[in-house]
Amino acid sequence: MRHISHSQLLSLLDLVAKSQTLIAPKDMGKGHLHLRPVEDSSEIVFEYTRTDLSAKEMVLPHTERIMRFENRSGEITITDLFINKDQVVFGLRPCDAHGIASLDSLFIRQDPVDRHYSKRRDSTTLVGISCPQMWDSCFCTSVGGSPTERKHLDVLLTENEDGYFVDCVTERGEMLFKNIELEEVEQTRMSNVTLNDSVPVPEDNLWPTVFDHPYWQQVGARCLSCKLCTFVCPTCRCFDLRDEPVTSNAETVVHERIRTWDACTSPNYRTIAGGHNSRPQKGQRIRNRFYCKFHYYPVDYGAEGCVGCGRCIDVCPVNIDIVEVLHNVDTLLRQPATEVKEETR
Amino acid sequence: MSNNGSNPMKPFNGRLVKIRDLATEIKLFQIELLEENGRNAFLTYQPGQFAFVSSYGGGEAPFGITSIPEQTNLLEFAVHRHPHGKTTNVLHRLSEGDPIGVRGPLGQAFPMQEIKGKDIVVLGGGIGGAPLRPVINHIIEHREDYGDLTILWGAREPSLLVFTEEYDSWRAAPRTRLHLTVDHRPPEWREGNEGLITTLLEMVSPKADNAVTITCGPPIMIHFVALTLRKLGFALDQMLVTLEGRMHCGIGKCGRCNLGDVFVCTDGPVFYHSQVAEFLESFL
Repeated sequence: MRHISHSQLLSLLDLVAKSQTLIAPKDMGKGHLHLRPVEDSSEIVFEYTRTDLSAKEMVLPHTERIMRFENRSGEITITDLFINKDQVVFGLRPCDAHGIASLDSLFIRQDPVDRHYSKRRDSTTLVGISCPQMWDSCFCTSVGGSPTERKHLDVLLTENEDGYFVDCVTERGEMLFKNIELEEVEQTRMSNVTLNDSVPVPEDNLWPTVFDHPYWQQVGARCLSCKLCTFVCPTCRCFDLRDEPVTSNAETVVHERIRTWDACTSPNYRTIAGGHNSRPQKGQRIRNRFYCKFHYYPVDYGAEGCVGCGRCIDVCPVNIDIVEVLHNVDTLLRQPATEVKEETR
Repeated sequence: MSNNGSNPMKPFNGRLVKIRDLATEIKLFQIELLEENGRNAFLTYQPGQFAFVSSYGGGEAPFGITSIPEQTNLLEFAVHRHPHGKTTNVLHRLSEGDPIGVRGPLGQAFPMQEIKGKDIVVLGGGIGGAPLRPVINHIIEHREDYGDLTILWGAREPSLLVFTEEYDSWRAAPRTRLHLTVDHRPPEWREGNEGLITTLLEMVSPKADNAVTITCGPPIMIHFVALTLRKLGFALDQMLVTLEGRMHCGIGKCGRCNLGDVFVCTDGPVFYHSQVAEFLESFL
């Protein structure tokens, strides 16, 4: 296994930042840690659990200008707006890379290809850092991941006392290190993480049998429809499109079409033109979110809709806990007549 | 699926050639596509398909295409303005000659080949008539390919009935009957019946043998029409329906129009009721 010292890594990152956009965990103050562009490696935070938002925003930004319409006295010119610089996302956790792989399954591998997503994806190198531990809300190992999972990354770094083991997973990852001499070290076991208890995740094909169970009303009863769970989620991908005016003058009127994150938990998500809403109840909407994770993603795209990052557990103001829901669904599937006790926390 | 410069989210440039009032708050837009790639994409669209109409700057929204390529080179859309509908309000403020974008054609069409030789019963409620007009006109254009055509056409009130100026030509077509109904009939209106479309359906009582029904309207109408059709002996796989879903992309990405694991935009909007019955999640 190759090894890079901490100071070598810093120099490499400084070099990367000169030719590409370097995105890394950055302290935004008041306890907020975000993936943000950095110009110098000194801005990067290396000791952290996970960033507030997942790395999803680097391939599916919360606000993305996708198209520009210029109207010159009735003559329209449409310009596609694409990312124009390569980016290296440094320091994401393996679960976030897993989330991006799930997004790939629908934006790229399902026809037609989403051009804006795929351009961004093609411009992106993912350099992850293994998790030194599983934190309280982590359950990646129950949904096909692990704290040291390499397969959705271009490079996986795993920390040891004096630097990082370097595992170049893809050729794109290898390219980053081509001009740097790395030390070869004897190492078979890179990390020794104590794993959290495993969570029962019912098989995707079992979920339909409990779709109409009153349990979902119970889960929804607490929901505030605040959408936080969907925004922090690495795989929630629903989006909205809207047009925004940009600078205009007498001859030319310019608008841009922007794509923004949307959330299936918002009350009018399913309202159609005549005002009919087929998901008027909170329980129906939160059920949609869980089914999207554990039934629709696997069935429609052959991918995991939940990567076990635990962010939704951490941010939910009313403590709707996906792990608790999975335990309860598992119980319902085994004993359909069970009444799930009302959460009292 | 036709791509515009390989970007399925990019509209084709068009011009609003003509705007016509169809009914209260409903306008018919006739659009000419300005570029070769746009015209090629819409050469062979089918009854039941839809497209996104863009007012550059006012957003885009999906509408059933209400024209057929056999009858016009223009694309026609019936746009119902809703008080809170951002895009439909902007579209209604456009004038003839204004630029407008169209993205499509999208979605699964009515299986016009598969239902050849059958009697066809078309049931349209209000603006729901818009995606059914291509079915009616397609059958009239290819009259020998289909059996009897029975059109049941309803609206809340006469001023909301769409395509009224075409009723005479529909009635004049061979083996074609048009039955109108409105929920509330003003005393001076004598063209049809009073009551819900289900009442009209029971009155007309079409035969289920070798017949297919095609319905579009508000979800509650679709539901009760299906119940009435069952009573009349129609099986679920004799009933076609086109559903509505709020959507932003039309290509299965934005997630908005799902009903369970089905997407209205790509798996539909046309479905047999036998499929709808299998949906995990109800459209109601």
